[in-house]
Amino acid sequence: MNYEIVLWLLILIPAISGLICVLAPSPKVALGMMCTCVFSTALLGFSAIGAVLLHGKILFAAANWLFMDALSAYNLFVMIIVFCLSSIYACVYFQQELLHNNLTLKQIRQFTSLWCGAMAAMTVVLISNNLGIMWVGIEATTLITAFLICIHVSRESLEAMWKYILICSVGVAFAFMGTLLAAASAKSVGLGSHNALLWTTLRDNAASLNPVFIKAAFIFLLVGYGTKAGLAPMHSWLPDAHSQAPAPVSAIFSGFMLNAALYCIMRYVPIVETATGHTGWGLKFLVGFGIFSIIVAAAFITFQKDLKRLLAYHSIEHLGIIALGFGLGGLGTFAALFHTFNHSLCKTLSFFAAGRLGQIFGGSHDMEKMSGSLPVSPVWSIGIFCSILALIGIAPFALFMSEFQLVKAAVDSHAWVVLSLFLLGAGLVFVGALGHAIPLVWGTNHESRKPVKANFFEAFLVFAPLAVLLVLGLWMPKPLFTALNSAASIIGIASSVTSSGVGP
Amino acid sequence: MDSPIEIMMILLVLSDMALLGLSRLRTCISIVSFQGMLLGGLALVTQFGSLTPRLIMIAAASFVIKGFVFPYLLKRGIREAGTLHESEPFIGYITSVLAGVAMLGISLWLGARLPLFAAGSGNYLVVPAALTTLFTGLFLIIARRNALNQCLGYIIMENGIYTFGIFSVVEIPLLVELGILLDVFVAVFVMGIAIYHINREFDHLDSHRLNVLKG
Repeated sequence: MNYEIVLWLLILIPAISGLICVLAPSPKVALGMMCTCVFSTALLGFSAIGAVLLHGKILFAAANWLFMDALSAYNLFVMIIVFCLSSIYACVYFQQELLHNNLTLKQIRQFTSLWCGAMAAMTVVLISNNLGIMWVGIEATTLITAFLICIHVSRESLEAMWKYILICSVGVAFAFMGTLLAAASAKSVGLGSHNALLWTTLRDNAASLNPVFIKAAFIFLLVGYGTKAGLAPMHSWLPDAHSQAPAPVSAIFSGFMLNAALYCIMRYVPIVETATGHTGWGLKFLVGFGIFSIIVAAAFITFQKDLKRLLAYHSIEHLGIIALGFGLGGLGTFAALFHTFNHSLCKTLSFFAAGRLGQIFGGSHDMEKMSGSLPVSPVWSIGIFCSILALIGIAPFALFMSEFQLVKAAVDSHAWVVLSLFLLGAGLVFVGALGHAIPLVWGTNHESRKPVKANFFEAFLVFAPLAVLLVLGLWMPKPLFTALNSAASIIGIASSVTSSGVGP
Repeated sequence: MDSPIEIMMILLVLSDMALLGLSRLRTCISIVSFQGMLLGGLALVTQFGSLTPRLIMIAAASFVIKGFVFPYLLKRGIREAGTLHESEPFIGYITSVLAGVAMLGISLWLGARLPLFAAGSGNYLVVPAALTTLFTGLFLIIARRNALNQCLGYIIMENGIYTFGIFSVVEIPLLVELGILLDVFVAVFVMGIAIYHINREFDHLDSHRLNVLKG
């Protein structure tokens, strides 16, 4: 199989489908085209991911500008899962809106086209070897998804969109400054114009980069991409955008867009660590941002009234946990990568449930109005309840396992302050979120509503992710373990390989 | 060879100060357009000895987009919205200029710490000027309430980064550079559409009054 063409197609299929979707003659055709695009890309993507993760290849294309190693393959895997599930859900969700005449053909065309475009942009981020192109991809996701937030134009959605586009554009501009500084740090190495921004070249030459510049670069990159990843204190756009976007969009925002931004930071970590001599200089910033995000999110979760905002703050918390894991290094990196998958799967499910329950309860996401949802929609109530349980780290689910590994990593590295702050934050979230979830499902509702039946697809969307989370919590398959290990070694490789190679 | 760059950098900083002190949106847009043209010229002046088609293309693209397309879009925005002045900024104009001077000081200090150019060369003003422009853009986004002004702030920020990029990294491949320019262009375009919708829905462009979503 020619993987060079596969890498190209991974970008081109969604990009071209996005353009075609604008011409769809009816809503059904538009949604059908979108699903065809997503699933055909998924099949191609899985073949490439299989080659990388199972057979240990590294794929290159376009004169090394595109590449896929274990880290990008693993992230691409998470992205494809999120997009496939969300696309099925989008059909279910918009079918309801079409039934109630809430959606015009123009809006559905806009949605499907931007959806495919967003998929193409995120793929560009993941498989580009050129750090400049990676930045272009991130900025493109911001611009494309901005209009996904206000598919339904209202005052609130416009406000959310404005905050999103302004804060994220400014943040990502900082990341651009960081990218330039990283390129400037390579000036002394004498790389040609073709190689100056290639990740593989920078990694190989990391030891001879100018440390002053690379440090300045990392600060800019961390703040810039951190804004897009929703790390506190740059998170203020996130709850607004997540709560105002239609549920399928919130699901890809939370399920993957944030991870894509964090992925960019991950790419720089081995370079920065090698250039600064493995002192953990960059990692401690990640720990700081991680812990701060967890604490801030915990405070807001406790007093939240809106279900989707609650879930948005959960995203901030979990992205903080992932950043913390990366910052701890070693087992922490492994745990963080595992947590990425668990969180994405769980968060997509919870946004699915929140969106569908919101539709059933007349468009409101106020948890008080939605209380006692179990008799009204058993399937989605179970979905929201179990996913919140998983999100706060209840035992058999996979998120518990990854958080447990993270605790172990913290203990191993004797980071006692970090550990206690993490446990404090997690404890607050546990109590706060459980206090919201129980009345939401079992409370008494004063308005009487007819029970709403769920079809096969809806049941699948709830129970398949839950089953996977449960299985992964109890048993980790061998291929996943190898994949996580090889992806983690890319982030941590600098410390093990180059430190022995650099010395005289 | 060095002196035109120095003059351009001084003009850049002066235009930043003017932007901080002016309230008329139309004038601000003209100044930003001037900055864009200045930067287009700057790209050519830096590499005057070795002009390549690539460089001319990038310089021309940024000259046209930043000097003419953005101002056209923004001035149209003003016409649609009917706002001519920034009303009651969070931070007054005199304080803003003082803050600008402070930012210039910080930038000079930072520029001295980032040893990008050999001490003797005349380009020592580049990093401070670029950083001042970056900070000015950021300051305007924070200190002004009008959405159009915030959009202007974003363009100014981008100008600062672009200035830095021209000098520090000449070797960025054309494709990357064009991708970046396209992204910035689309960003301003998207902001323009957002402003249009906000104006239609709210009848004002005061971002401070976009305050329904909380908590």
